Amino acid sequence: MASPAAVRELQRDLENKANDLSKIQKDIAKNHQVRKKYTIQLGENELVLKELELLKEDANVYKLIGPVLVKQDLAEANANVRKRIEYISAELKRLDATVQDLEEKQNSKREAVLKVQQRMQALQAGKAKA
Amino acid sequence: MASSKGPASPAARVAEMEKMSVEQLKAVKEQTDLEVNLLQDSLNNIRTATTRLDLASAALHDLSLRPQGKKMLVPLTASLYVPGTLDDSEKVLVDIGTGYFVEKTMVEGKDYCERKIHLLKSNYDQLLELASNKKTVADEAGAALQAKLKQLAPQT
Repeated sequence: MASPAAVRELQRDLENKANDLSKIQKDIAKNHQVRKKYTIQLGENELVLKELELLKEDANVYKLIGPVLVKQDLAEANANVRKRIEYISAELKRLDATVQDLEEKQNSKREAVLKVQQRMQALQAGKAKA
Repeated sequence: MASSKGPASPAARVAEMEKMSVEQLKAVKEQTDLEVNLLQDSLNNIRTATTRLDLASAALHDLSLRPQGKKMLVPLTASLYVPGTLDDSEKVLVDIGTGYFVEKTMVEGKDYCERKIHLLKSNYDQLLELASNKKTVADEAGAALQAKLKQLAPQT
């Protein structure tokens, strides 16, 4: 029979699951934002690398460190930019894996929420459900 | 999450839309409208960047015409200028991004500006095509929504 205690418990369960779901969705949104930032940085670094590769061996390269323009070795600049590109690509791959995992969790949480809602509806309709 | 627009032909798209409920259609239209706005923003950004590059290119060209030793005013802040003389205008420092600057000759500098402007123009064209396609979808969704609402209205 539909006892008020059972309904309350289901409601609490629903709230918990709904909170979990919204947290997962927030995490997914944050993931997207970080991924956007990294993608932009990756694009910029690749442009820089292309420009550096067009230079002759003896061209002067400077790096802006704070308010100071410091002369850099072309080979060193190339190496630095390449390393950054590698790092950003690795981060992007990691984010991809994370977001996939999060999306799976989101889907299963959605199903769980739906199931609890269905049970609640059944209970409130007056039918006893195990 | 970007929804993939499955049917490619407009007729198939409209048919899909007719099958959807008013709620779903509203959601689709809102989603596509958002995407269209985003794309328009990007188009504006590209236009601004292209204008800035054009200005830079023009400034470079002007600089190349000036003789060495010419008197000039150097901006130190937005309201403070200091008199100076033009040194070698054959070498220019180009900001290539992520804090890197490269010393180039005047010709290379102009070439750099040209290259960047071409890159931006091609990006702009690609984006424009995407934006107009999305706008078409948004308009179709709007029309289908109107039709559906009219259908439901007299049913009282």
